[in-house]
Amino acid sequence: MSSVLFRNVVKNFGALNVLRSLDLAVPDHKFLALLGPSGCGKTTALRILAGLDMPTAGKVFIGERDVTRLQPRDRDIAMVFQSYALYPQMTVAENIGYPLWIRGTPEAGRKAKIGEVAAILEIGHLLDRRPRQLSGGQRQRVALARAIVRDPAAFLMDEPLSNLDARLRLTMRGEIKRLCQRLSATTIYVTHDQVEALTMADLVAVIHGGELQQMAPPIEVYDRPANRFVATFVGNPPMNILPAAPGERGVMIGARIVPLERTRLTACRLAEIVEIGLRPEDCSLAQPGEPGALPGEIYVVEPMGNETLVNVRLEGGNVSVRAGRDFRGAVGESIGVAFDPANACFFNSAGLTAVHRVNSNGRVK
Amino acid sequence: MQGARQARKYRLQGAGLDLALPYLMLAPGLMIVLGVLIYPLWDGLRASTRAYRYGSPISDVGLQNYVRLWSDAQFLNSLWVTVKFVALSVSFEAVLGFALALFCLHEFRGIRLLRTVLIIPMVITPVVVAIVFRLIYASDAGMLTALSEAIGGGEAQILGNPLNAFIGLVVLDVWEWTPLMFLILLAGLQSLPHEPFEAARVDGAGAWRVFADLTFPMMRPVLAVAIVLRTIDAFGTFDQVFVLTRGGPGEATRLVSIYGYDTAFKFQQTGYAAALFVTIGLVVLALAFSAIRLLRRVDAS
Ligand SMILES: Nc1ncnc2c1ncn2[C@@H]1O[C@H](COP(=O)(O)OP(=O)(O)OP(=O)(O)O)[C@@H](O)[C@H]1O
Ligand SMILES: [Mg+2]
Repeated sequence: MSSVLFRNVVKNFGALNVLRSLDLAVPDHKFLALLGPSGCGKTTALRILAGLDMPTAGKVFIGERDVTRLQPRDRDIAMVFQSYALYPQMTVAENIGYPLWIRGTPEAGRKAKIGEVAAILEIGHLLDRRPRQLSGGQRQRVALARAIVRDPAAFLMDEPLSNLDARLRLTMRGEIKRLCQRLSATTIYVTHDQVEALTMADLVAVIHGGELQQMAPPIEVYDRPANRFVATFVGNPPMNILPAAPGERGVMIGARIVPLERTRLTACRLAEIVEIGLRPEDCSLAQPGEPGALPGEIYVVEPMGNETLVNVRLEGGNVSVRAGRDFRGAVGESIGVAFDPANACFFNSAGLTAVHRVNSNGRVK
Repeated sequence: MQGARQARKYRLQGAGLDLALPYLMLAPGLMIVLGVLIYPLWDGLRASTRAYRYGSPISDVGLQNYVRLWSDAQFLNSLWVTVKFVALSVSFEAVLGFALALFCLHEFRGIRLLRTVLIIPMVITPVVVAIVFRLIYASDAGMLTALSEAIGGGEAQILGNPLNAFIGLVVLDVWEWTPLMFLILLAGLQSLPHEPFEAARVDGAGAWRVFADLTFPMMRPVLAVAIVLRTIDAFGTFDQVFVLTRGGPGEATRLVSIYGYDTAFKFQQTGYAAALFVTIGLVVLALAFSAIRLLRRVDAS
């Protein structure tokens, strides 16, 4: 196992600039989720690391080694492709054993290793089949097995769960996480699904527009987003954003004043904040006239089973609020939205988070 | 029964023309096929059971024509020459075509032009190809003779020497039909999925292993189809030989097609020639079927 480092990696496809100066350091034994919207260059970054594409500029290191100009086979990595990329005319056992076979591992050792890996992934009964005789989830496991059969410097996984149905995805999510913890392997896991990133990873790197937006542990990405993009991309439903301006005794949201602690208010004023960000679970529903609550009317009510998502139209825009499962309300009814400003964060005009929530990890109740 | 009738009724309601339309559209094509394919086939089969004199049938001889074939040394020899010719040409074409297709799979400057140039031999009329090769091979003023004399040798004896004539014929066929192999195999290569190849590179395979473990096994069905197609086609080779050697010298390049032609038009044994061609047709059909069967088995295992 080794650390992985991208240094100022740039990638252009003709005139299209996909990665503009990506810097990324993955410590040894860590599980990094590369998170970003579709088309932001995640696969491109992974392919550059694997050696399947050349960066236009910049360097890539695995461990201490500069691998920028090395062939894929000299990089000592294992990759799980988005489409599995199994070898169609080989059996499952041959597929799994292929990396070992290429390296000249003797038959007996190979067999033992294939059996061991197949047992971990519970595909021992499929070893004689061919890929096209497998279901999507089984193919997925074979692709994983082929990757973990060796002990490479790093595992690369490109949206390995994106082709599975919701239920299987949930199961496999847990299994991959367990597997990676058990192997304690340096893993780079590409996904556009923020739930996957938050639940599985030690570190989440959010990429947007070919640039790294933030790299931090999942909780921190969630609680202390570096900017407006991260705040709205991570979390479901996303963070509520309302226009706001620093006032005399607090922050003005529309015509209302939300009282704020002195030091934070000063910080807001200095940073010239323009927006306030609130997680749906940090908001609560209140009576329309309640002091401190923002007045609005119910826009949509979405019962989720364990809770109800209530979308409320306020003066500056709509906000989502997590309410109890027994919430009853009709569309168009007047209602109030209350929150503790200590849980809010504030963005400046450049979209950067100027003032974070009070508790660095956790919420004020 | 009741149910079936019911279903038919439901289907027909309001859909009469829609149902008839496919058959109406097929009808002209079907007529043409019946006229130019089925009838001659049937006529040929009938002819093969008759004896002819001066171009008209004189008696029914049953299967005698077929039986006679197998004790006809000239026929057996022509069959042997054909098998040698087909096996040699098709193997060379397959190997060369595959190599060229692999090479042309890479994208580089001028690749489009190269691909186009490579298929030119295939689109030239076979007779023209044969005439050109005759000019090359001719012992008096041919290109090979000119070449040979330029380096101090004598006349190049190609068409006059049995072995050389046969090799010359194979060379001609390879030159003309490698492009077809190339085209089919290139299309096959281009339709293979990309990811397994990238996976193999990441897994540690070099170029040779990628070819042996992935490209070749994945291409096997396409290769088999291409070989079967070419084999069937090569069995019927006629015009090139007719122009180049007429089957000579001696019987060195007398393929079954030439022998059949001679039998029918030189010796006027129409019935016997028909039996010969029906036999060859069956042999080729059996070959194609067994090749496809073999392919299926490999695929299913
Ligand atoms: N070979 C290529 N040639 C030209 N443009 C490309 C090529 N590969 C990718 N791109 C472009 O680069 C951008 C990033 O592609 P990439 O595949 O890295 O996205 P991604 O983040 O993996 O998206 P997704 O989540 O949809 O897989 C896209 O706009 C894509 O159109
Ligand atoms: Mg991708």
